[in-house]
Amino acid sequence: MSGYGADINNSIWMRAVLFAGGFLTFGIIAFSILGVALAGPAHDEYLAAVDEYHHAEDAWKESVAAGDSIASDHNDELYIEKEEAHHHEVEAHLSYLNWKVSGNTILVMCIIFASFIGISGIMNSIQPDDEHSDDEHEHHGSASPIIFTFGIMLFMIGFPGFANTITELLTGTDAVLGEMAIGVFGLLVIIIGVSNWWGEDLPFSGHGEQIATSHPFEGEHIRKAGIWIFIMSEIMIFATFFSSYLRMRTGWCTKWAWDNDMCDADATGYDILTASDYLRPGGAAGTGDFWTMLPGGINTFALIISSYTIVIALKTARAHDWSRPDNFITKYIPDPIIKFIFPDQKRTVRNFLFATLLLGSLFIILKLIEWSHLVAEGFTVSTSQAGSIFYIATGAHGLHVFIGLLIMLYLVFKADTVGYDKDNAQGIEYFGLYWHFVDLAWVLIFPAFYLY
Amino acid sequence: MGDHEVIGLEKWLKDNTGMDIYFWNFIVLMFFTLFEIGAVFFNKIPGTDVKISLMMVWTILIVVGIIKGYGIGAYFMHLKGDPGIYFKTAMFPVLFVLLMIFGIGLSNPDGVDGLPAWCTPNWDYATRR
Repeated sequence: MSGYGADINNSIWMRAVLFAGGFLTFGIIAFSILGVALAGPAHDEYLAAVDEYHHAEDAWKESVAAGDSIASDHNDELYIEKEEAHHHEVEAHLSYLNWKVSGNTILVMCIIFASFIGISGIMNSIQPDDEHSDDEHEHHGSASPIIFTFGIMLFMIGFPGFANTITELLTGTDAVLGEMAIGVFGLLVIIIGVSNWWGEDLPFSGHGEQIATSHPFEGEHIRKAGIWIFIMSEIMIFATFFSSYLRMRTGWCTKWAWDNDMCDADATGYDILTASDYLRPGGAAGTGDFWTMLPGGINTFALIISSYTIVIALKTARAHDWSRPDNFITKYIPDPIIKFIFPDQKRTVRNFLFATLLLGSLFIILKLIEWSHLVAEGFTVSTSQAGSIFYIATGAHGLHVFIGLLIMLYLVFKADTVGYDKDNAQGIEYFGLYWHFVDLAWVLIFPAFYLY
Repeated sequence: MGDHEVIGLEKWLKDNTGMDIYFWNFIVLMFFTLFEIGAVFFNKIPGTDVKISLMMVWTILIVVGIIKGYGIGAYFMHLKGDPGIYFKTAMFPVLFVLLMIFGIGLSNPDGVDGLPAWCTPNWDYATRR
């Protein structure tokens, strides 16, 4: 078997297994450090803080019962101690969740990445080369869409158990992993379907891009037009989230609006708490500070940076006479670092795609940490309409990011094996359009759901 | 993100700074993100006693959203430079989006009561509700 410009006889599947092994190893190490070594002591501290709070609460209640304290006196020493113990308990719980959720998330993501790249790589390598592209022969029937759809059906059937177990993992409670079985099996079938599709219909070389022959896209690449039409439909999906959110939001008297005297004259208090009420400094749970908003803030920067790294990857792949950048920024960076980031044209493309993958993964990890905090503070999908729309909108966006990461794995893998050049870099360009759209959607979701 | 001729502002930036439009677009996006987070995080303009009102925050979020949306759409997604058909494709859903935003999003649950009579002939849904 051969790919464009390179002999890839057995190197494809071996490289795929290497990638998969790398991801698994990293996932296990990260889980051991974050989810076990750091989360363990944090969990002990949390349990101690719970005990401390119960003692303080009992002491205050006994004092009130004995008539030594007045229940409504918030300046009472015992009351203040109880409140401080409560804050300490909440902080200890959130600290524990930081380690536990990040460890769990990295492990699960690495297992999915390893499965995807391992299975896909092996299936791709067993396809005879002339079957990789449908550009040179008549289109053939494919079972992949049916396998893919069957996987989605299984995943949907198993979704309640899957979601329940994920919630338990997010809250750090004992999870019954068996409940995820059908959902995970569905995911596995989806991966097999997509992998097979990849082998059948995504030419590894990327050459022979089909050109549209009729109006209105005449002369344009069919896949690029397809991506734009796909993005068009995505805009509609996110617009439904926004319009339903806005409709509800403009009718609510939120805590923020109440604090700013923006509610109706007949309002006697705020009637709902939104995610932004919890996340804002001094938020609804009384624990909001700079750190509560930090994951959302970092995520915003992560997506913008990832949009730029994929642009650099594309520019590098398309460069006719590539050379290491020499500008006012690289002047201040030590030479070994520059050589590490920009070793040569092929590996520079891979490095920047990999950086995009890492930034996207960071987004998912921080997103789940943030969700776990909100759930711990009592803001769940079933708390109120505010909870439902928040988790549905941000969850749909997170799902788009995660699907993007799987596609990015393919790009990284291809960049590492066959490589990209000016003739076959369309894959990066088209995926880049999708990724920029995901970034654009976040540009709207972040202020609407987190800041407003 | 296709190939295109470097002219105008893009050329000026490249000639005078050595960095292309993508880099400067990235810097602008980073700056405005910092700005919008700051608008929510700070109750007062740092170093002054000027309170940042809720209305001011809304204005900042909307203006920054438009600037960032333009930066990503025009330069990163390359609508500025690619054939016009892609821009038209991207703009196609805007009518529906506006309909949804104004017709559904901004007609809050009290909005139905406020519709004029000519708009609801023989329609007592609002009062029955």
